[in-house]
Amino acid sequence: MGVRMELNPPITPPPTRLAILKAASMVRTFPQISGVSFQLARQQTQAESSSHDTQAGSLCHLRVVLSLLLVLFGCCRVLGEHPERRVSLVNDVVPVLTKAGCNAGTCHAKAGNGQNGFQLSLLGFEPKEDFDHLLKEGRGRRISLASPEASLMLQKASGEMPHGGGVRLPSDSEGYALLRDWIRQGAFYDGDSAPKLVSIEIQPKRATIQPNGQLQISAFANYSDDSQRDVTRLALYESNEKSMAEVSEFGLVKILDIPGKVAVMVRYQGSVAVFNASVPQGAPVESVPPSKNFVDDLLFANLKELGIPPSPLCDDSTFIRRAALDIAGRLPTVEESQRLLTSQDSNKRAYYIDSLLQNPEYADYFANKWTAMLKNRRDDASDITSNFAFYSWVRDGLLANKPYDQMVRELLAATGTVMGNPPVAWYKRVKEPKQQLEDVAQLFLGVRMQCAQCHHHPFEKWSQDDYYSLAAFFSQVGRKPTSTRGEDMIFHKRGVAGLANIKTGTVLKPAALGDTINSIAADEDPRLKLADWMASPTNPFFAKAVVNRYWKHFFRRGLIDPEDDIRDTNPPTNPELLAALEKHFIESGFDLKELVRVIANSNAYQLSSVPNDFNAADQQNYSRFYFRRLPAEVLLDAIDDLAGSQTDFPNLPPGTRAIALPDNSYNNGSPFLKVFGRPENESVCECERVQSSSLAQSLHLMNAGDIKAKLATANGRSDRLSQTDKPLEERIQELYHVAFSREPSANEMSFSMEYLVTNKAEPVSKERFQDLIWALINTKEFLFNH
Amino acid sequence: MNSTFLGESSHNFPARSTLFAWFVVLSLSVLSPTAQAQSVCLPMPRLLTTMPMGGSSGTQVDVTITGENIEGANAMLFNHPGLTALPKLDANSQPVPNTFTVAISKECPTGVYESRVVSKLGISSSRVFSVDTLPEVQQTPNTSLAKSMELGVNSICNAVMTAKSVDHYSFQAKKNQRIVVFCSARGIDSKLDPVVIIADESGRDLVAERRGDILDFTAKSDGQHIIKVHELTFKGGPAFFYRLYLQDIGIDSAAPQFASTKTVSSFSWPPKGFVANTFIAESEPNNLGSQSQKISLPCDIAGAFFPAADVDTFEFTATKGDVWWVEVASERLGRPTDPSILVQHVSVENGIEKLTDVAEFSDIASPMKPSSNGYAYDGPPYDGGSTDILSKLEIKHDGIHRLQLRDLFGGTRVDTRNVYRMVFRRAAPDFALAAWGLHMELRNGDRNALSKPLALRCGSTVALEVVAVRRDGFNGDIQLELQGLPDGVSAQGLKIPAGKSRGIMLITANQDAPPCISKLSFHGKSSIEGEDVTRPVHMAQMAWPIVDAWGEIPSPRLMDDIMLSVSNSEYAPISIAVQEKTVIEGIVGEKLKIPLVHTKRLDFSGSVLQLKALGDGFEQIPRFDVSLDAATSEATVDLAALKTLPGEYNLAFYGSAVVKYKPKPDAAPRDVAEIVITEPISIRVKPSEKK
Repeated sequence: MGVRMELNPPITPPPTRLAILKAASMVRTFPQISGVSFQLARQQTQAESSSHDTQAGSLCHLRVVLSLLLVLFGCCRVLGEHPERRVSLVNDVVPVLTKAGCNAGTCHAKAGNGQNGFQLSLLGFEPKEDFDHLLKEGRGRRISLASPEASLMLQKASGEMPHGGGVRLPSDSEGYALLRDWIRQGAFYDGDSAPKLVSIEIQPKRATIQPNGQLQISAFANYSDDSQRDVTRLALYESNEKSMAEVSEFGLVKILDIPGKVAVMVRYQGSVAVFNASVPQGAPVESVPPSKNFVDDLLFANLKELGIPPSPLCDDSTFIRRAALDIAGRLPTVEESQRLLTSQDSNKRAYYIDSLLQNPEYADYFANKWTAMLKNRRDDASDITSNFAFYSWVRDGLLANKPYDQMVRELLAATGTVMGNPPVAWYKRVKEPKQQLEDVAQLFLGVRMQCAQCHHHPFEKWSQDDYYSLAAFFSQVGRKPTSTRGEDMIFHKRGVAGLANIKTGTVLKPAALGDTINSIAADEDPRLKLADWMASPTNPFFAKAVVNRYWKHFFRRGLIDPEDDIRDTNPPTNPELLAALEKHFIESGFDLKELVRVIANSNAYQLSSVPNDFNAADQQNYSRFYFRRLPAEVLLDAIDDLAGSQTDFPNLPPGTRAIALPDNSYNNGSPFLKVFGRPENESVCECERVQSSSLAQSLHLMNAGDIKAKLATANGRSDRLSQTDKPLEERIQELYHVAFSREPSANEMSFSMEYLVTNKAEPVSKERFQDLIWALINTKEFLFNH
Repeated sequence: MNSTFLGESSHNFPARSTLFAWFVVLSLSVLSPTAQAQSVCLPMPRLLTTMPMGGSSGTQVDVTITGENIEGANAMLFNHPGLTALPKLDANSQPVPNTFTVAISKECPTGVYESRVVSKLGISSSRVFSVDTLPEVQQTPNTSLAKSMELGVNSICNAVMTAKSVDHYSFQAKKNQRIVVFCSARGIDSKLDPVVIIADESGRDLVAERRGDILDFTAKSDGQHIIKVHELTFKGGPAFFYRLYLQDIGIDSAAPQFASTKTVSSFSWPPKGFVANTFIAESEPNNLGSQSQKISLPCDIAGAFFPAADVDTFEFTATKGDVWWVEVASERLGRPTDPSILVQHVSVENGIEKLTDVAEFSDIASPMKPSSNGYAYDGPPYDGGSTDILSKLEIKHDGIHRLQLRDLFGGTRVDTRNVYRMVFRRAAPDFALAAWGLHMELRNGDRNALSKPLALRCGSTVALEVVAVRRDGFNGDIQLELQGLPDGVSAQGLKIPAGKSRGIMLITANQDAPPCISKLSFHGKSSIEGEDVTRPVHMAQMAWPIVDAWGEIPSPRLMDDIMLSVSNSEYAPISIAVQEKTVIEGIVGEKLKIPLVHTKRLDFSGSVLQLKALGDGFEQIPRFDVSLDAATSEATVDLAALKTLPGEYNLAFYGSAVVKYKPKPDAAPRDVAEIVITEPISIRVKPSEKK
């Protein structure tokens, strides 16, 4: 790397440019002017001569004259002084605008027409466009070469004139001075000649910082001419976990009091870098639960490194409820609970996990998860057949434990009719190549490509070319009509795959993310090549994305979070663990059940959710189980299980569980599912499912008619318990076993007895049992997986 | 071509009263599917269900029937002499309503057959009757695990699906015993899209099959297993019947094939002279050009699209100017495939192989643009085309050619049963024909009329739309001919003209035709290279009347025979015929007046019937109105405008009207939409004498 430079150092033209300048007429005309100034004038002339805009041409002509005058004036002024550094639009002005937020998506880079008619390219990715917007629009008022301070751009930014965005560049700021100097020097475009930004570096790259400590990080930009510039004050900083670390405008990282790993993304003109901080708790970790597999090895090692003692292992009651809810989406049966609680077998938890994986409800539950993200949505009554077929295809694949890479391959490269080959239904929902690429990238690769459709990805390395190259895999998807309304037959349409970058018009051939694909013949279905690439053991995204997604399913938070936003600037909290999971998954042959097995069998998964004296603040190192509310469908089924009721869904057999609903259409008739956030299957993001709690949910559980109806179901549990001859204690025990998979405590038993028995001479009324069930449903212990 | 009631262009607007009547009909249709089903077309006898749906050869079985307008059915007919039926009699020798005793001879082969009943309105539409060799049972209530019905291995259960239910069967299997479960449904005219699941004895699902295919299962342990059957979307009812086959087979045996009805597209396969057992077998590996299988033309190759993304590559030598015809059958063999061919010329330049595209082939176009399944028909609801191939290959350069054959639907599927036949031949001009009942272009309307038996009322004329798939460049006229017509019934074909793909067959029952039932023989005739050629016309029919084709996928199929009946229990609402049943003569360039006589037997809603012409060369005749209240009318044929040359022609006129139909003499009339077709009209155009 070259010599480190000061902020805004003078730029010396490289020899090749000097050679050109010597031949230029202006050199002959004004031999006394310095080479730098000649270069500016020459470039300006070239820029203007290439313009086809006559109005802009006359403006430029005027500007040339003014420039020359200014240059002459400047030269006279600086004769005998150091030559003034030329201010670069690309490397000085645009970064200032970016730092000031002028070209943010919410401001002048807003899609459409920018802000108040003034448009800038997003984050300065298109300097030539910015130059045109500044110089050629706004009736020339934005830039005043004759009187730079009178430029509308400066007056607005400094607050001298009213500005909707407020004061962005005070008149005494460095940024203001830089912009003013650029204008004073002639407001030249130098996009073709200025050194190109190659990368940015930060120092330090990683550090261990104690809670409530702070550290200044520095950013350096590397250019194509091997020069380097300190851009600490111009770079943008963002913490990936604001509850753990805050970053000042100029890169001062302030750590708060939550232990773990935090990253700070540093952005500068399309380049990104990341600073990783490790924040130790520093508590003594005297012991951790025994390791059952590599998950435990790596997770507990991380806790030791951070000094976060884990909570102890959970008891069997907690485990069985947790495992059943997470794997089969249901409460454990009373028989299952009692069998496990009374078993002395040291492997009983592993056996139970295996039994859950053999249970069709595992397939139901995970099919529910996947089909939501695959947009199995009913927009028309006639969608029912394809939706059921598609749901069943996913469900049967999970039941048969079809390798994950095979399932994805069958989906991506689906051909034929929906009834003949149900994954074709995905192409009914996701019709355009761009949408197909975005969904595939986000769902199966964990990469969000949407931004790159219109501009370089601001947080990533992905360009528009990367976007359209990936979309090109879907460019040869052919369609033929069928006799079924709204459905097409899908096939590979012969032809060389390619898709045009809408900005450049260049037709791009299929290319994988960050990788090359051998040329694809016209007869070959490019989607099969994409599937080949995805399933390659060396693919950096495919396995990582799904193990991270499944990790989140069991631990509430992904090792990378959000789980579908994998990028260098959003690093995993435990990279070694993520890598080991990825490796294990690939070596298992993309075996999803094995992935569940290895996670659920770890002691890391079986920790108690009760915090100890040191790990209450931990939110990302899994030193305890992070409890979470039951998903809408699981909660509805759990209430039915406890109340002895069932929910009837239109056109489905009585007793169909909510976790087995094939599409979103059942939300319409179920206020419960809506209130508790069942998704409408419109998004590829799991975030469409609302997992937060709300007042409406509380009110629904307390008062809603459907809950009351369930409690009072004829032949339901309250009916049955009020009519049985069993001792009252046994009946109360049954309720606690169903609800919590445990015995009631002495207090709970006595309280329940006291409530139920109002008159010893009379049997307990069913209403009293309804009340008790209602109370159990409304406990956090019931509503949460803990 | 098709009559339209609503949505006509303004210059041809029907009478207001007609419109109003249609508005009433259609409004009722929207409100009530049942009402709609009753309001479109006059009642037709339709056999809808039988229970059981088949039987074992060498046995007798009592069959209970249901249907539309088959009250008092007194005969049940089959299209195989090994199947006979008599009304079942009770202890008092009185017929048990809707029940027949069917005798299945030992000689009756395994397969599917057409069964029909005869009622006062005539012959019903057909329902499949299956014959097999396995013992058969009928379903007992089994919609829960606790009520599982025990089913013996190597037996067949005839059952009906209940809505929102899952049928449960139990069977015993030994460890490593290979079991095949097959739910025969769509292939026997059922509406059921079956899902078959094998579960353990506690009902926990083990494997599932949801595409109507066989479920091939090897038991992992001794003991009881459960079969669950349900409809894909949990629909049910009498139309959702099925036959569940439970068979054990050897570990290395090929999975059994089960008989089913044929798709409409299959009418164009095989070509005349095709020999099923003579072929060259495809030889793998042949995916790459370097692995090409060498063949000589002509040839007949049998192969399979296996494994996934299989490409079968063949290489042959051909001479510039050669013309070959290539035909591939796979979809028409009942496989869910889409064959595609690429032919390339192979040359070598500077030691490097160079491939030049010569031709790409895919799909046999439908002879008529099928309906796009919009709100109204914009074509017939039958697709006579196929995803198979029938194309001409013209060789442009001498030398080696390479052919790649692949399945466009086969990128990820692994199924050895996806077989094909590929035939290369010199031009052997020929044709294949299919026919179906002419439909009306009625908004979301006459789908229930698609399931039409040829049950004629005295005085009626019905029309069949006939389409041709032309093979190997055949371009001639195709004359249509019905044989086996009973007394009082006549038929007139409106030919498929040269180069065209559509013709019409008109069948008329005289007012005084005696009631009868007859098996017809339907053929197309042409002259090919100087030889008279006769080819069969395959009848197609919808398996069910369909009220709402948006919500329910129509299910067309080919029939194995053509049966016709004439009934005088009811008469056609109106007959329109030429006044003098003679040939109408005219002179080239003049206007021909055709006097028509109306014989009206029922009242109509509205007083005007708009007619348009059927028959090649006459379909450009502008639509014209005739009064439904008048006893006569006149059609004008402008021979000058039509540029009709001297010769003899046949044509007819047709339109739609709303009939005030009374199912019984004392019943209140209700509106029924019906196609009105004139009797065939023969005209002779003579040369002008002015020359």
